[in-house]
Amino acid sequence: MSMSTSSPAGSGTAAAPGRPIGELIFALIVISVGVVGFVAGASIQTPPSASDIGPKAFPYLVSGMLVLVGAGLVIQLLRGGTGVPEEGEDVDPNIATDWATVGKLAGFVLLHSFLIVPLGWPVAAAVLFFGAAWSLGARPWFRNLITAIVLALVLQFVFAGLLGVSLPAGFLEGFGVFSG
Amino acid sequence: MSLLEGFAVAAQPMYLLFALGGVLVGTAVGVLPGIGPAMTVALLMPLTYSLEPTAAIIVFAGIYYGGMYGGSTTSILLNTPGESSSIVTALEGNRMAKAGRGAAALATAAVGSFIAGTIATVLLSFVAPYVAAFAVQIGPVEYVALMVVAFLTVGALLGSSVLRGLASLALGLFIATMGFDSLTAQQRYTFGSPFLADGIDVVLVAVALFAVGEALYVASRLRHGPIKVIPVTGGWTKWMRKEDWRRSWRPWLRGTAIGFPVGTIPAGGADVATFLSYASERKLAKGARKKQFGKGAIEGVAGPEAANNAAAAGVLVPLLTLGIPTTATAAMLLVAFQRYQIPVGPQLFENDSALVWALIASLYVGNLMLLVLNLPLVGIWVKILQIPRPYLYAGILVFAALGAFSVNFTPIDVIILLILGILGFFMRRYGYPVAPMVVGLILGPIFENQLRRSLAISQGDPVALVSSPIAAAIYVVLIIIFVLSFWMRKRQSAMEAETTADLEGGVDDGADTPRATVAQGGPDADGTSGAAPAGPGDPAESAHPGAAAGVPGAESAPGPDTVSGGAHSGASSTKNRKESP
Repeated sequence: MSMSTSSPAGSGTAAAPGRPIGELIFALIVISVGVVGFVAGASIQTPPSASDIGPKAFPYLVSGMLVLVGAGLVIQLLRGGTGVPEEGEDVDPNIATDWATVGKLAGFVLLHSFLIVPLGWPVAAAVLFFGAAWSLGARPWFRNLITAIVLALVLQFVFAGLLGVSLPAGFLEGFGVFSG
Repeated sequence: MSLLEGFAVAAQPMYLLFALGGVLVGTAVGVLPGIGPAMTVALLMPLTYSLEPTAAIIVFAGIYYGGMYGGSTTSILLNTPGESSSIVTALEGNRMAKAGRGAAALATAAVGSFIAGTIATVLLSFVAPYVAAFAVQIGPVEYVALMVVAFLTVGALLGSSVLRGLASLALGLFIATMGFDSLTAQQRYTFGSPFLADGIDVVLVAVALFAVGEALYVASRLRHGPIKVIPVTGGWTKWMRKEDWRRSWRPWLRGTAIGFPVGTIPAGGADVATFLSYASERKLAKGARKKQFGKGAIEGVAGPEAANNAAAAGVLVPLLTLGIPTTATAAMLLVAFQRYQIPVGPQLFENDSALVWALIASLYVGNLMLLVLNLPLVGIWVKILQIPRPYLYAGILVFAALGAFSVNFTPIDVIILLILGILGFFMRRYGYPVAPMVVGLILGPIFENQLRRSLAISQGDPVALVSSPIAAAIYVVLIIIFVLSFWMRKRQSAMEAETTADLEGGVDDGADTPRATVAQGGPDADGTSGAAPAGPGDPAESAHPGAAAGVPGAESAPGPDTVSGGAHSGASSTKNRKESP
């Protein structure tokens, strides 16, 4: 419905020619989650003491719903009913998908998760912010770096220092104001 | 009396400070694109464990209300081609701003939100105890019926595609079943992994879908270039002219009258209320004012903004009395209550009456704070709106990772966050709404418990689920809601098409004609037009040309005029391209 006023007709096809295939895969994943639900649900034990429908019934119900809705989606897609991508103030509907940036962001989140324990949360957070800002096109790098360090320290101070959230302080371990 | 006690609690300096913090954060996230109140409540939950329940709930209530105010600032002042005009209700304010009337649009939105929020909170204070008293009597069968209604309305009505909404809901319900079954302690869908034994934390899923999914999705199509914010000038006391007040007060009250009841029923929340108010204002407008719709009619800002806030208070009625959330943010508030071991439901008003009345009292206080924050201090939010987007989304990722890590203090959760975030990315890309998934995840376990209790009582007979008179009535209402909402959706797309057509007409010839009217009407039009605002069948047809002249009068100011002209032609070229093939 909201498509009517935005994105000109050409953009949808030009920006993502592979979308129907991607959508089809997503719908098939929905179905397969339902199938997994049935298969794995079979091994759920129902204790003899259960006085009600037991722990199996609801998972089966949900799995059935997934299979049915997924099948409906596949049919809808094959008949040409594709989804309407979400809109947003910062989303430009007319440009092609920038997979490289998405990949970089995901990579930095992953890197962040590995750095928290060995280097402490502030360092890991600064790396994440610096990397994400750089991936999204922020320049120059030294301004990104300063912002990243200040932000990480402020967050560590507010949440660990003031609110008592146990974030590992890393090299700031000795300073009382930074540890939770 | 209970409400007065609530005020006594909420007026303590410490709680006032928490309320202020909540509304500040709420307005900020409402203003910023990419984050909303639901995500913010989710993020702050693990980070506010050290607060006592009352303080935390007051903060979350402030975020909830603040988010409603902030959103209007963005839609009025942010000059993004395409998106903002695609939501008819957000369009009028943006058009007003482009015509140099942004200040009046902001003011009517803020004052209208305050009036609607206050009236709706009064209604909430009076209605909620009665609903709670009624709700105490209903049993598991009726709960099952109510939750089916909530599931289907949230799942099928919130997004643009029914099937995608239901798929999202089902995925949420599936994740909800993972982990130990609460009644028999059997492991379900844990696949032998100790990390899945306790299930996946709701907060993790919500933050991943709302924050990480959004950041990845925006990154894939980031709008580059400068952020065009339409400037607001002049002292805030002069933002609304007499004429604006005269044209706004009726839409405010009508918006409140529409918003509150729509908010209380699970019919899609604030969006539906906003649209209904817009449609009725448009219908009630006459003559030249009607023509203004789509080009910046103040009634089209005043009514929907009021309806939006009234609906936000209305949503709290089923949440606080029945424990049934009808929007994503309400669902996150329910999780907040659960985290603090406060059982939400009919007993809430009896067992935790001090807390619930402090919450309601803080809503009154928060509304007042928000009025101040949004009128004299609107400049702050305009600055926030200009945060460079790389920093904004990098910051969202850092906060999301912080929230995820704080759930159990294990880096594994950050990896799960990433995986679910990628899921959220694809859901956005393929048009699946994420809110039903979160609601399904939160309501799923409660629904299953009530369902199993109902069937245990009836000894497995499913007919019992529909044979209770109240439950049967609820299902009938469900059918009515569905029929109505499909009818309304048709109306909405018809109206959007119509508005688009109007705009195109307005682009070709209309863009110049209002200025011509100004020349004839002159600034003295104020006096004539105020005499006859939108009364049914009023004999003041003659006043309308003057009424129209009052607003385009602002268009003749030299600066904004060029802005509006440029934007109009940009829009027209986009639309022509769309229609030519």
